[in-house]
Amino acid sequence: MIKMVVVEKTYKGGIHALNGISVEMEKGEFVFIVGPSGSGKSTFMKLLTKEEEPTAGEIYVAGKNLANLPRWRVPYLRRNVGSVFQDFKLLPNKTVFENVAFALEVIGRPKSVVRRQVPQILELVGLGEKLDRFPDELSGGEQQRVSIARAFVNRPLILVADEPTGNLDPATSVGIMRLLDRINRTGTTVVMATHDHAIVDSMRRRVIELEGGNVVRDQSRGIYGVGT
Amino acid sequence: MRANYFLSETVTNLKRNVLMTVAAISTVAISLLLLGGVRILDLTINNVTSRWEAKVEISTFLRDDIAPDETEDLESDLANMNEVQGITYVSKEEAFEEFKELYADHPEFYETLPKDSLPASLRIKLTDADYTQLVAARIRGAPGVDSVNFGGDIIKRLLQVNSLLRTITLAMSVILLVAAAALIANTIRLAIYARRDEIGIMKLVGATNWFIRIPFMLEGVFAAMVGALVSGLVVLLSNEFLFSRVGNFLQFLGPVFEFSTSEILWVLALLILVGAGIGIVGSMLALRRFLEV
Repeated sequence: MIKMVVVEKTYKGGIHALNGISVEMEKGEFVFIVGPSGSGKSTFMKLLTKEEEPTAGEIYVAGKNLANLPRWRVPYLRRNVGSVFQDFKLLPNKTVFENVAFALEVIGRPKSVVRRQVPQILELVGLGEKLDRFPDELSGGEQQRVSIARAFVNRPLILVADEPTGNLDPATSVGIMRLLDRINRTGTTVVMATHDHAIVDSMRRRVIELEGGNVVRDQSRGIYGVGT
Repeated sequence: MRANYFLSETVTNLKRNVLMTVAAISTVAISLLLLGGVRILDLTINNVTSRWEAKVEISTFLRDDIAPDETEDLESDLANMNEVQGITYVSKEEAFEEFKELYADHPEFYETLPKDSLPASLRIKLTDADYTQLVAARIRGAPGVDSVNFGGDIIKRLLQVNSLLRTITLAMSVILLVAAAALIANTIRLAIYARRDEIGIMKLVGATNWFIRIPFMLEGVFAAMVGALVSGLVVLLSNEFLFSRVGNFLQFLGPVFEFSTSEILWVLALLILVGAGIGIVGSMLALRRFLEV
């Protein structure tokens, strides 16, 4: 589903974010990307949606070599890769329903599909009662649920989540993790960058640890840090 | 369904950003009004110079001993030239009468003159004042021609002033056009900047660039077109009510503020076309940066 072959990324100004990493993820896997700030986690995530391009190496996502993907095809890649962020990125002037519907409208889905799928997905994330609320009327955890609903409403093959619990308290985070786990069980590959020890340790899923732009550990059913 | 989405999106956005819409419309209206003004100025200059040019003529003075068939030859030669519009023969007697009229206040000038002292001449009107030198050179030295007079320097200067003025108005038009496009691009950029989060999310969930672009472009074109219509309306109303009054006031210049319907329609068409053009170009320019990533 995802394959990186000796991927390097150097930003303008000579900062080496990734130093030739190679990883492979299967369909339906749940993978944590862990590591301290500046270890290359965010760069790793951005490469998957072609928000950034590697300086060297090859990246395959959903069977496509991203290097050969022309600019105009990138939107179609992103329809297969849902994104969730630490800061939710919801539109404040749209309701919960509209925020999720927006994701379907802008890829040209007909109104009938929007009317059917949006309430369904909001029910799934536990917000079936709050369709008409605005984001600032919701708690942080609820807002993140909306953003997950938005990322998943199109049934992407892959869900990438960059620190989705970074702004949430531990109890709320557990709820978000349950939701991501449920999505993973539908066969969706989930890649989540985090530095939340408790979550990684409790989930016992595959862990890829980055440090200084290198993969220093790749462990199935891992915990956050060896010996910590 | 798509067209529906684009239209409703455009209308919503125009309404939601009323201030921006008004700013864009007035920017276009003012820029295009200036452009229209310059075009009107150009038409005015054209009117003035064509009136001057109409007065330009070549006087060919004939020798007293010219044979009648030489005069005829000369006239038919001239009539065959493409540059010549018309020829008037002025006999010695007619020349004397004109002289008398010209100096009616000073009878002493002509009372002493014999009636046949002034030469007969051919007055040649040209299709374009530009040909003056050319035609004058051709007939100078023809049999029976004594001298050729066409106020050479004045005409040359007149033509120079004319071409200078036209160059200036053309340059002004170009500058105003560029300025209008830049202003529109900037206004649209502000509108887009105000909604950059929305665009970011659209890109994130896989909206194609054209899907994002089209509502903004429709917005830009709409604003530009409305602006163009406003400026066109002002030009039209000015032609109807203002120019004739200014023309009356400046009567000594002749009917320089009278424009034909087709001239005014050309100006309107120009304004609307340019409006649509800068709407599209402006929004394309403004959108480019936001669609990277």
